[in-house]
Amino acid sequence: MEIVFSDASVSFAGRTALHPLSLTLFERRIGIIGLNGSGKTTFARLINGLVRPTTGRVTIGGLDTVADEEAARGRAGFIFQNPQHQMILPVLAEDIAFGLKNRGLSATEIAGRTEAVLQRFGIPHLARRRIHELSGGETQLAAIASVMVTGPDVLILDEPTNQLDLKNRRLIEKTVADLPEQAIVITHDLGLLDSFDRVLLFHQGRLAADAPPEDAISRYREIAAC
Amino acid sequence: MLTGLDIEGTTLLHRTSARLKLIVLFAVAAGLFAVSNVWLLVAFAIIAAGLYASTGIGLREAFRRVRFVLFTVLLVALANYLFHSLSDALAVLFRLGTLVLLAAAVTATTTVSAFMDEIAVLLRPLERLGLLRAADVSLAVGLVLRFAPEILARYGDIREAHRARGLRARPLGVLVPLVILTLKDADTIAMAIDARGFRRQ
Ligand SMILES: Nc1ncnc2c1ncn2[C@@H]1O[C@H](COP(=O)(O)OP(=O)(O)O)[C@@H](O)[C@H]1O
Ligand SMILES: [Mg+2]
Repeated sequence: MEIVFSDASVSFAGRTALHPLSLTLFERRIGIIGLNGSGKTTFARLINGLVRPTTGRVTIGGLDTVADEEAARGRAGFIFQNPQHQMILPVLAEDIAFGLKNRGLSATEIAGRTEAVLQRFGIPHLARRRIHELSGGETQLAAIASVMVTGPDVLILDEPTNQLDLKNRRLIEKTVADLPEQAIVITHDLGLLDSFDRVLLFHQGRLAADAPPEDAISRYREIAAC
Repeated sequence: MLTGLDIEGTTLLHRTSARLKLIVLFAVAAGLFAVSNVWLLVAFAIIAAGLYASTGIGLREAFRRVRFVLFTVLLVALANYLFHSLSDALAVLFRLGTLVLLAAAVTATTTVSAFMDEIAVLLRPLERLGLLRAADVSLAVGLVLRFAPEILARYGDIREAHRARGLRARPLGVLVPLVILTLKDADTIAMAIDARGFRRQ
């Protein structure tokens, strides 16, 4: 799926969070790195229209994120930095099924797809669990399942391994690596980026590097050092 | 009472539609106040308890869920005994007891989404009048059930933090950070509702 930024910038109440930038993303694995507050989340949220460009435009598969908001949003799934907050119903299976409502599916189809996506991410045993009782790793998988069930072409993950212990971090890394879909991952877990096709480095709201992982990471180390 | 605490199962009550259960619950609630024969009310309470047990909930959990409300019912009955008569008190005890047990049985066998659907149906006339969006109200109900435990847990955390710093946890001192943190989350939650297309038509 081709994601095109054309002179897109974002300001919040007159403060620029992201300076105008133009680029096209089409690679299967794209990483986003940078210091806290450098604009990573803002950039990622532009992709599915959660943040609207103050100037310029963003399209995903040719759909404008403002003019074709709903359709554009359907193409990109988003895992928030705190995925607990994107699970809206108390029980996992119900939360997943809820995302399939109003799509002209029968109850049987909804149940079938819910079951299938739980299987796909290896968490059928969590179906009836309460969201607020899930562990960090479980929440992350549950959120991914709840988003992927609607069949987006791209999955965007905002620091998915941030709060996880080593074991769960490996689990999420593997889950991301195995996704057949395109993935855009914001992360401080630099090891995750080894196999990525392209890494964007943000610094003070600007793109400071757009390169293969090694190059972007070494530039990141320079920035972090001073 | 409707705390989204359905338990998994395939019992008769689980298989009964949410709408039928709610209609019967409301009908029985109204009907119970027309009955004052204590023996009849005792029989109803026994049937209600039987239905509640038939959900497969297990004795300990069954009791844990209703003990607080039943205790309140007991206090109300006691007041009736003091100010009215023993037969009045017993009627109140078994009438309200029946209701509590029936409501608990419905709660234990109905999923949150089924509740939300029924709320949406119930509100449809108001929606036709252009007063609200039924789907939004039912989503709000789902949200309350989803995030209530979180807000309670956070309330505990903030009180803990106060104590750890040697501060007395005064209500306002706890409430202000609680509201601020909750509002901050509300922002992300609202965004997530958009991101996941929950409000699409
Ligand atoms: N909703 C918002 N309102 C105001 N300022 C914001 C908002 N979101 C982000 N910002 C600001 O924009 C800048 C970039 O933030 P963000 O994209 O979240 O950075 P990162 O994800 O790299 O940590 C920060 O200075 C942040 O304070
Ligand atoms: Mg961020």
